[in-house]
Amino acid sequence: MASLIFQIMVDSLLLGGVYTLMAVGLSLAFGVTRIINFAHGDVVMYGAYAAFFAFVGLNVDPLLSLVFVAVLGGIGGYLLFKLTLDRILDAASINQVLLTFGLGLVLQNVAVILWTGDERSTTPSYAFDSWFISDDVVVAKGRLIAFGLAIAFVVLLLAWLRWSELGRATRAVSQNRAAASLMGINVRAMYGLSFALSTAFGTATGAIMSFLLPITPFMGFPILVKAFAIIILGGLDSIVGTVIGAFFLATAETTIAYVVPQGIGWAEGVAFFLLVMVLIARPNGILGTVGRDA
Amino acid sequence: MNSTRVWIVFAAAIIASFVVPHFLPPGLSDWVTRLSTLMLVAISWNMMANAGLISLGHSGFWGLGAYSVALLANAFHMPFWLSLIPAMLLGAIFGAFLAYITGRLRGLFFAISTLATSEALRVVALMVPKLTGGAEGVFVFDQIRPDRVTMTSFALCLAVVAVAISYFLSRSRYQYALRAMRDSESAVQMLGVNPARFRIGVTTLSGAIAACGGVISAWYTGYLDPGSAFDLKVTISAQIAPLFGGLYTVTGPVIGSFAILALSELTRLYFNYSGGVGLLVYGCILVFGVLLMPSGLVGLWKRRRKRAGPVAAIPAEVK
Amino acid sequence: MYLSRSSLMVAFSVLATVALPAMGHAQDTIKIGAPLSISGKFVSYGAAAKRGVEMAVDIYGGKIGNKKIEVLFRDTQSDPQVTVNSFTQLLVEEKVNFLIGPIATPMAMAGLPAWRRTKALWVVPGATTPLLEEEAGKEPMLFHTFPYAYYYHLSLARSLREKLGPGKTVAIIYSDDAYGREHLPYAQKYFTQEGFKIVAEELVRSGATDLNPVLAKIRRVKPDILLGVVQTTDGIQLTKQVYVQRLNIPYLVGTAYPQLKQWQDASGDAQEGWVGVTTYIPGMKAKADPKYPKLFMDSDAWIAEFTKRYNRVPEFIDVGAYVSTCMLLIAIENAGGVDDKEKVAEELKKLDVSTMIGRGHFEPSIGGTLNQAFADVVVHQRVKGTDAILFPKEFETADKLEQATYAK
Repeated sequence: MASLIFQIMVDSLLLGGVYTLMAVGLSLAFGVTRIINFAHGDVVMYGAYAAFFAFVGLNVDPLLSLVFVAVLGGIGGYLLFKLTLDRILDAASINQVLLTFGLGLVLQNVAVILWTGDERSTTPSYAFDSWFISDDVVVAKGRLIAFGLAIAFVVLLLAWLRWSELGRATRAVSQNRAAASLMGINVRAMYGLSFALSTAFGTATGAIMSFLLPITPFMGFPILVKAFAIIILGGLDSIVGTVIGAFFLATAETTIAYVVPQGIGWAEGVAFFLLVMVLIARPNGILGTVGRDA
Repeated sequence: MNSTRVWIVFAAAIIASFVVPHFLPPGLSDWVTRLSTLMLVAISWNMMANAGLISLGHSGFWGLGAYSVALLANAFHMPFWLSLIPAMLLGAIFGAFLAYITGRLRGLFFAISTLATSEALRVVALMVPKLTGGAEGVFVFDQIRPDRVTMTSFALCLAVVAVAISYFLSRSRYQYALRAMRDSESAVQMLGVNPARFRIGVTTLSGAIAACGGVISAWYTGYLDPGSAFDLKVTISAQIAPLFGGLYTVTGPVIGSFAILALSELTRLYFNYSGGVGLLVYGCILVFGVLLMPSGLVGLWKRRRKRAGPVAAIPAEVK
Repeated sequence: MYLSRSSLMVAFSVLATVALPAMGHAQDTIKIGAPLSISGKFVSYGAAAKRGVEMAVDIYGGKIGNKKIEVLFRDTQSDPQVTVNSFTQLLVEEKVNFLIGPIATPMAMAGLPAWRRTKALWVVPGATTPLLEEEAGKEPMLFHTFPYAYYYHLSLARSLREKLGPGKTVAIIYSDDAYGREHLPYAQKYFTQEGFKIVAEELVRSGATDLNPVLAKIRRVKPDILLGVVQTTDGIQLTKQVYVQRLNIPYLVGTAYPQLKQWQDASGDAQEGWVGVTTYIPGMKAKADPKYPKLFMDSDAWIAEFTKRYNRVPEFIDVGAYVSTCMLLIAIENAGGVDDKEKVAEELKKLDVSTMIGRGHFEPSIGGTLNQAFADVVVHQRVKGTDAILFPKEFETADKLEQATYAK
């Protein structure tokens, strides 16, 4: 029994790490720009493909190409923002939803045309390593790395937000757009920066996913849906809330998978169920402040 | 256009929908049926968008309609015209549910909820094979399937009715409430309309209409499985058609549906495409549509007609 | 109203695109309809089948007697409604008497009700679902040229029993999609029949990130064999996680995925030792059929020919579609080159050829299909990056079953 609980704990933690990675970028973008990027999943997918081609073509380990991929993702995101979203920032939100949704479609299908639907994967050695930490419980190295990186990313992000000049400006914009602009902060530039950071995180996540999940052009959608559930759970504009939401979801899913018969089949439904519950009971999420009509 | 003329036009259209299919070659007849189902979801989506509710999970309604048909036809041998009623009810209830849980939250929450719940429905369809045939899919009891002509007439007739409903809605006293809801819910209250109840009304009605699309599809195809019944493509087409033809307008979804299907037939002939090009085109249409012509084809035509002013990011009027 | 110029243009072009195909068809052609998923999620099946069919027609010479062979490809777009459209267009407008495809099960199922209206001669080089058999197996015009799901397990159970002896324990993992749920009862039936004891049956969510909960349960029962009844994407996850989690189960068995290059590349080291089934794998050495050496050549010659045309290695659907098309064309010619489906069906039933995927001969299947060919599947094992063929005897290249390896 103790062994089962231990197992569930370990698995929940590791899964939580993966989920955190998936959701953090989305949360940052929304917190500042109030734009939900429906193409987020596809951004992650591109990160995965980039890492894959670096691995297969240039023999670069995904953890190394991570930095490069993130930078590329950030630049790409910034350009995308300037070319498209920037123009409709003041328009009705329907435009923004349709636009990012359309962008997602474009990204996905360009990938289908370029790379076909075949599954790919990077195969660095640590993706195949593991440790026995007790008779029954094994920890996969790849997962542990993902967990570590997730924590590192979040810590870095929070530190940046709290202590760096740009970070504080970003937080100011997120809290009160008008006041921030009165303080001399270039709000639109902050938007672009946040969006770029969000896509940078997205593609970095993709690079990590490249050795954890099969890479296909369609991998983005389930990631997007999960990320949504997590940020709503945790509060749309709170990074810490997102992290808590991610671990909460991971724990709920893992527990059900272990304990309920055929549980792993229903575990997917947990995200939706929680989502609906949150919407009914506490739309702000665990730590967020966005909920009621603005 | 005064209202007697309008009634006559719709009556004539309904009669035509029973007469014309007899003279159509089978390929065209199929095409008309597909067009009708697309129009149904497009009109339904447009109706919700009109009220500021962006649905990203329209496939949920479609799938509900389709599966209710399959279950009722196979269990009770319910004939197709009767099966409409429970399907519409389900669609309506689902719509109401979505409006209820998102209560007075921003439109964004509605969008996300529709996405999540339509996925959830798909999962349910997979996980209870005893009820839904599960992943293997289920055949609609063959003996009671109507022939092609009847099917097409039926589909066309439903589409005409849906257009009529959206037309009368746009002329009713709710039209101002609709416009207001897009911008701000507090404005709606000032008009004396209860926003929550109004939301529920809109989603209930559109949900029922969208479910009809699924009903026709199920009878027409004779087979369904969760993957295709809850396919994202339904949602995407439902969005693109109104956007292309003219968001928030009555004729927009109709023209848009026509254009979308024609476009896909044409690209099929001339591109002989590998996977992905079709959806890529759709995605581009969405992106460029939003950036450049948010009032759609109808708006384009109107602007040329009026030679009027600048294009705003939000279409300025409902017409 | 506003529905003037633009919509009239649109309506006109639509009518044109529908009417055009009806216009250009000469009397002296043999028309074969091919509704395939040339786009959409099943594009890999449709594209492969198209290659096979085209190559077959080409090698056949493009003509039967002095009539030209015309294959009418229709893209089902992996969409049931469009599939129905395609079938109607082919069967009712073009009035074809011969159909090949679709390959993907949901598309074949979607086409079935439409097919019933004219019941053309229907060759199906795909669709493993026994649902097809239930609904239409007894139809004399249906010719199924691909094994049903249960044949996989029949061959797997038999070959494993042969190599390992009776009484071993099996744990089954199956995915909660059409594939898994369809296959499970057959896996249960045939493995039990061959004397194996099933000690666990666990469901995995198709597309799940973390299979640990299930793997942990399986680890506890310590089976001799793990059977993973899943599709490719889940197959990759399963393979990698089984390896990393060190389940230490001696024998790892999959279904169709171990033959696929994408699975092999993505699984890396973890693929070693996995057993799979297929209708065709490189390494199967078949000799040319003496009666039709130009069509059914030596395996190596055929592979070379395919690679020359398409610049890629053929996989099982390419071959299957090729062989099925050849058989259909031969039957049409034997029936006198006429567009008569009854006569052609008779000839098709009489055919007995030896092809690159085994014996091509129609017989009733175990489950009740009147015309079933190519029911035998090949059981293979991944050993050091190549395939060792274990079963059937005519293609065997290895007689011992290797054990699986795990993370160190």
